[in-house]
Amino acid sequence: MRRRARDLALLAPACVVLLALFGGAVAGMVRSSLVGLTGGPSLNAWRALFTDPGFADAARFTVQVTVLSTVLAALVGLALAALLRSRGALPRAVLALPVPVPHLLVATSAVLWLGPGGLADRLLGALPLELIRDRGGLGIVLVYVYKEAPFLALLVLAGCGRSLQAREEVAAVLGTTPWQRLRWVTWPAIRGPLLVGSIIVAAYVAGAFEVPLLVGPNAPPTLATFAFEATKRDVIAGQGTAAAALTLISLFSIAVASLAVRFARDAEGA
Amino acid sequence: MRRPSVVVGAAGLLLVLPLAALTARAFADVWRAPALLPQRWGLRGFDAAFAGDLAGSALLASLGVGVTATLLALAIAWPAARVLGERRLRHPAAVFLLLAMPLLVPPYAVGVGLTEWFLRLGLTGHGAELLLAHLAVVLPYSVLLLLSGFGPEVRWLEEMGRAAGLSSADRLRWITVPALRPTLAAAALVSFLVSWSQYGTSLAVAPAQPTLPVLLLPFVGADPQAAAALSLLFLAPALLALLAAVRAMKAPA
Repeated sequence: MRRRARDLALLAPACVVLLALFGGAVAGMVRSSLVGLTGGPSLNAWRALFTDPGFADAARFTVQVTVLSTVLAALVGLALAALLRSRGALPRAVLALPVPVPHLLVATSAVLWLGPGGLADRLLGALPLELIRDRGGLGIVLVYVYKEAPFLALLVLAGCGRSLQAREEVAAVLGTTPWQRLRWVTWPAIRGPLLVGSIIVAAYVAGAFEVPLLVGPNAPPTLATFAFEATKRDVIAGQGTAAAALTLISLFSIAVASLAVRFARDAEGA
Repeated sequence: MRRPSVVVGAAGLLLVLPLAALTARAFADVWRAPALLPQRWGLRGFDAAFAGDLAGSALLASLGVGVTATLLALAIAWPAARVLGERRLRHPAAVFLLLAMPLLVPPYAVGVGLTEWFLRLGLTGHGAELLLAHLAVVLPYSVLLLLSGFGPEVRWLEEMGRAAGLSSADRLRWITVPALRPTLAAAALVSFLVSWSQYGTSLAVAPAQPTLPVLLLPFVGADPQAAAALSLLFLAPALLALLAAVRAMKAPA
């Protein structure tokens, strides 16, 4: 009993600080979206958000960019992991290069390479597609795939480890086909890290706005950019609209994470 | 055997080239299309970026808040990481959920929510708001990374130290910290990088005291060479992190 009390006391500083700061931040955000200009409770900010003509486009664009970026990053990450699985430290170090580089820097580099008159244009004559500020958000997706695929590949490689190779060899000796080994031995080992990584990537893509601000189109904006611009358009009422949009993004990320975790548990139990 | 090496080389080039071009852009005073190399090299980008006090103070703000938030986060995370790493909790799910939430909520949302309270509590304009906002984002990373260092092996070494008559301060100094050094270094590095890269949180909480990323973004459209020069400064800790990671990978287990 005394040991349990001591453990809880050791946990307390981190939990109290997180509850106060992060919990306070979430409470502050929700409160901003529910308090009117006169100080009383009001749904005006939510009403303003849902009736804004740009909201539906921003929401659709956010889901499109998030899904495309996450799925492509996961696929490229898997391919990179397969390529580097049996290789040494140096190729893995090169693969790790974009991981600690801030998103803002990758976006800055993308403008330099892929913008009009950029290095890619000069090398190839002209790019067949407009990638920076295109309405489909291709530039945003490219930046996120470049930045997140190595991160997911490293997570998958960490999930592989040496024990997986031994289990694959045992399965091969038992006469399984490569497809059966992938389906019953390799995939269950890498599914967890890939899923956790993909959830983090999806939440980040849905909520961050420095990459869309630099390489995304002026219209439609992502929801995070929409929230940021709302505070610029109307310094007072815009705060509530921004808070409502940000609450919505947070709920979206938490819902996606919960669904993904539940799906993974069901798959494990099946 | 040859084909995969070519593919790995091409993938490596694709990862290295964009950052190499950023370096070239920072020192290219004149680089007009369609030339593939700059027509004139120079330091105009650095002069433009550091004209006035803004860049210097942004650099100091980023460094100051990054180092302080990292040290604070590690100190607060340490006891919690020990309990979680040694699996002493029977039901740790609630704590892990609390630690995962800041990874799911947008950084700008954390900043906007905290600003609401900072304004009410009169906490604006002291620099404390930036530090507290970064601490909220950095702390989960510190706990999650540190906990991987604690486990039965460290516990066993500490028990041996206790049996040998070492005080708790001596055990910490001579056993626990050396045993956890690689994990501690990784946690410190990642925590610093998380704070160093924060854009949305810093912009929401302290727009009047820009950090390096907040200062950098407007330069990208206005003066690409100055933006590239600031980018090199912004890149330095990431390169240090990578060198440390390569060293750790090559170190014997």
